[in-house]
Order: sequence, then C-alpha cells, then structure tokens
Amino acid sequence: MENILQITQLEKTYPNGVRALKGLNFNVKKGEFLVVIGLSGSGKSTLLRCINRLHDPTAGSILFEDKDIAHVQGEEVRDVRKNIGMIFQHFNLIPRHTVLSNVLMGTLGRMGSLRSIFGLFSESDKEKAMKYLQLVGIADKAAIRADQLSGGQQQRVAIARALMQEPRLLLADEPVASLDPATCHTVMDYLKKVNEELGITIVANLHFLSLVRQYATRVIALKGGELVFEGDPKDISEEWFQKIYGQGAKEVHIN
Amino acid sequence: MVKLNIKKLVFDAVVFAFLWCVTLVIIFRPDEDAYLLLNRNVLIFLAGAFLGALISFGFSLLKIKTAGEILFPSTHQRDLSAAVPWYKTVWGWQIAVALTATFVVAIVKTRFSVWEILDIDGFQGAVRLFQGVFNPNWEVLPAAVNNIIETIFMAFLATALAIPFAFVLSFMCARNIMKGPIALPIYWFLRTFLNITRSVEALIWAIIFSVWVGIGPFAGMLALMIHSIASLAKQYSEMVETVSEGPIEGIQSTGATKMQTIWFAVVPQVILPYISFTVYRWDINVRMATIIGLVGGGGIGTMLIQYQGQAMWREVGCIIVVIAIVVWLMDAASAYIREALK
Repeated sequence: MENILQITQLEKTYPNGVRALKGLNFNVKKGEFLVVIGLSGSGKSTLLRCINRLHDPTAGSILFEDKDIAHVQGEEVRDVRKNIGMIFQHFNLIPRHTVLSNVLMGTLGRMGSLRSIFGLFSESDKEKAMKYLQLVGIADKAAIRADQLSGGQQQRVAIARALMQEPRLLLADEPVASLDPATCHTVMDYLKKVNEELGITIVANLHFLSLVRQYATRVIALKGGELVFEGDPKDISEEWFQKIYGQGAKEVHIN
Repeated sequence: MVKLNIKKLVFDAVVFAFLWCVTLVIIFRPDEDAYLLLNRNVLIFLAGAFLGALISFGFSLLKIKTAGEILFPSTHQRDLSAAVPWYKTVWGWQIAVALTATFVVAIVKTRFSVWEILDIDGFQGAVRLFQGVFNPNWEVLPAAVNNIIETIFMAFLATALAIPFAFVLSFMCARNIMKGPIALPIYWFLRTFLNITRSVEALIWAIIFSVWVGIGPFAGMLALMIHSIASLAKQYSEMVETVSEGPIEGIQSTGATKMQTIWFAVVPQVILPYISFTVYRWDINVRMATIIGLVGGGGIGTMLIQYQGQAMWREVGCIIVVIAIVVWLMDAASAYIREALK
C-alpha cells in the first residue's frame, strides 16, 4: 500500500524551549486508521498540529502525498489544510451559528473571502452539507444553534465540517476525551464509518487502550516526544503498557 | 548576588526625590521666581532621584525591604517575615511618610481654606445662584429641548461614524491576531497612535475642530468621533484578545484565509460585547457632548455657557433640569440594553 504521509526526523521546539518532538520517524499508509497514544505532554497534539501546519515544525520533513509540506509558507499552507480535515477535543464549532452554517464553514478554504463573508454559499454546497450531516446521523438538527447540542452531537457536526473539505486525511485530536463513555463509541463508530466507507485515512490521538484495540488498524506510542512503540494494537502487552504510561500505571476499561 | 530590579529602583528613587524636594522647599522657602527655573529644578529632582536609587540599592544589599520591593518583588519566593507589623519596617515608614507629605503638599497647592467656604459674601452669592436654579424659568424650555435634541444626535452620529473605524482597528490592535514580522510593527504603531489620540481629551479636540471647521455642532461631533474611535478601538481590541483559541483553530484547519478566520471565528465571539460597548459609548458621548458645547461644540452646552456668562441663573436652572432628565434616561436605557445583551 502506498504511503499518504511520510514523516522523517520531525522536530518541534517551542519558543519557550520545550522540545515537544525529538526526531520522529513513521509512515501512514493510505486508508489506515492510525492511533497515536501516550501520556499528556508526550507530543501527540503537537504532532497532529504540525501535520496540518497549525504549528510550524522546527526541523525534519513531512511528505503528504509525496510533497514536503513541513516548511511551506503562505498560500501553500492553506492548500495543505484544505486537503487535511481536523477534529478537536473541544469540537471548536462556532457556538452562535447554526449546525448547517458550521458544516458549510468546511468549504471556506475553497471559497473567495468576499463571497464567504456575505454568506453566499452555493446550493450544491448546502446539499453536500446536508448529505454529510445525514452521514453522521444529525441532519434533523441542521437549523439548530451549535451550542444547543450535546458534546457527542457537536463532535459529529465537527466531523461533518471536516468531511465538507473532502479531505484525503483526517486528523482527530482526542476526539472523545470530553465525552461520556456511551457517546464515545457513537463518535468512534462514525469515524470508523468515515474511514471504511469514504476511504479517508485517519490519524487520531486517543487515551483509552480499549478504544485503540477496537478501532485502530495500527498504533504508535509517543513518550517524551519520541516514538517508543509501533505496531498492531493487539501487540500492546502489559509490559509495553508500563513502558508507555510509566511504572504502576493501570489500564482503565471503557465500555 | 543582588540582581538589579529596575522597577523597584525607579519607584524608590521617585518617592525619595519627592520627599527630597519637599524637604528643600521647607528649608529654603523659595520665592515664585525660583519655582519657574525649570532646568535647575529638574536637576535638583534628578539629583534626589539618583540619591534615592543609591539608598534603595543599599537597602537591597542589606536585604531590607523597601516599598518598591513590596510592589515589584525581585524574587518569586514568599518570605516568612510577613508577620512583622508595618511600623517596624522600612517600607511601612516609607509609605506613611510619603503619603503624609503628599497630603500636606496637596492642601497647600490647592489653597485649601475653610474661611472661603464660611465667608458670608461668597455664601450669599451661592444662595442667589441656588435660588435661581431651583426656580427655573420655563420660557427657555423649547429652546433647551431643541438644543438637547441637537446634542443627542451629535453624540449619535459621532458614535455611529466611529464604529467602522474602531471595528477595523480593533483587530489590528489585538495581540493574538497580529502575529508575525509584518503585523507586529503595525500593532505597535497603531497602539501607540491610539494611546496618544485617547490621551488628548475630547475637550481639546473640540477646541481644535472649532478652529478648523468653525464653532458649532459639527466641530463637537468631530471631536467626539475622534475620541470615540480611540476609546472603542481599545475596548474592542481587549475583547478580541480574550476570545477562545478553539474556534480559531477550527476555522484555520479548514484552510480559511486570515480574513475568513476573523469573520467566522472571532467576530461571533465579540459581537455582543461590541454592541454593549457601543451603546455605553453613545451614553457617554451624550454627557460629553454637553461639556463640549461649553467650548463651542454646539448643542445644549453652548446654550448653557451663554446664560451662565450672563449670570441668568433661572434660565440655567431650566437647562440643568433638561440635561439631568436626558442623561438619566440615557443612562437607564443603556443599562437595560446592556443587561439584555449579556
């Protein structure tokens, strides 16, 4: 299988001197559901934000579909982001706008600034938005303000917004960390559906190993900004678990 | 090793220089002309400041806390000597002496005098004024109402014209929007420019514009507009600086441009406080417009100063009633509107 993402010697040092990523190397194959695990502060979020250039990497290369995007500037950064969707722990919707309008914001990258500011979204975009809302099972809420939805519903709207970009890669930064266990699975199921039915590659940060085993096709683990494990989710033994999360850590199950 | 703490040194130096000058005045009792020798006096002040800085530095070598040290601590460690009562500390006496001296100097400088208040001639003048004011001449009411309407619209137009300028400026004056090598200098330039504009009172702007475009409501409106732009831009930009980063990241990640990000992620977060500030600004402008009228900005203020100049207190009384009612109504209305917008 072809690689969609090839990451080589990726480094990120923040202006305050914190070295969040210390020379990461790994590849992501097309169609994979790759999960990144690790403690808080291990560099997971930084990694995802470097891939879609919300953060600028300090050194190294990121080949996205064979083009190095680690150090592109200006318009090219926007081109990168157009093709990579992202969902966040806190959903990051615009609370005062309707669900439909939030989903339509996924097309901003392809739209002229002026047209979008006057809210001139095309009819075909609106149809597309409704289609993706249907896909995540929330089409009936299209006219409701986003801040009136529950957490799980908001995350599904965020998925629809990301799909609106028609991305080839979807980044998910702790997508279920602020949701209750029951909603957790609903959101993960929709991500799986996106991965399997639309063939969109997914790179997700997750906390719960039980979710990792259930959804990931492959897993990597970060510790202190370095890669400490790479392989099949079923291969994470007790020994590896201790290595990644520290001595004495206990696995919490979520059902 | 004592690290140089500039803020602390400056604070102690200024406090000492002030006390030093007060002491010199008490000892030498200079006459009027001596006060006007600005260059010499500045030198004396600076000498005092230098001495103060030296003393302050000496205290920090001795590890004795001064008031500057209390205000601008050089280490982040909490010390355990906090339980000492203030009169057993250097900083306690430093603050007590400085405040007492300031109070005494203020009384001398304002020629505070109980005799003036109790003087019988002056008191009777005030009684005449109050008799007039509390017995308004309602014949000038129609003119007063027409003038206050002029004032209200002057304030409204000043606020309305200030909004678009302040709106655009607010994003260019917000630290979290203006990142990068080109944006940062623009940010600093605009910040400084607006600070200077705001520090010039609307009253001064009114004097400038009454020379420029002639005495009247137009000059007053322009003065209020300039002041409103600077004030609103500052308030708006503080709002922009407190928006949450989440929605910004959310919109950025879709490949949106800078302008789209501001419009879709920042504006929805700030629009209600913006409206609230603007309503309040209109309210303030109505009150300021009255004052501005006093220096030729038109409206009710100009009418007030004309009758006051002729000591026609009964007419002044009528105008004051009109102003009071309108200001009270505007105040209440803007408070209700702002409450509803929360």
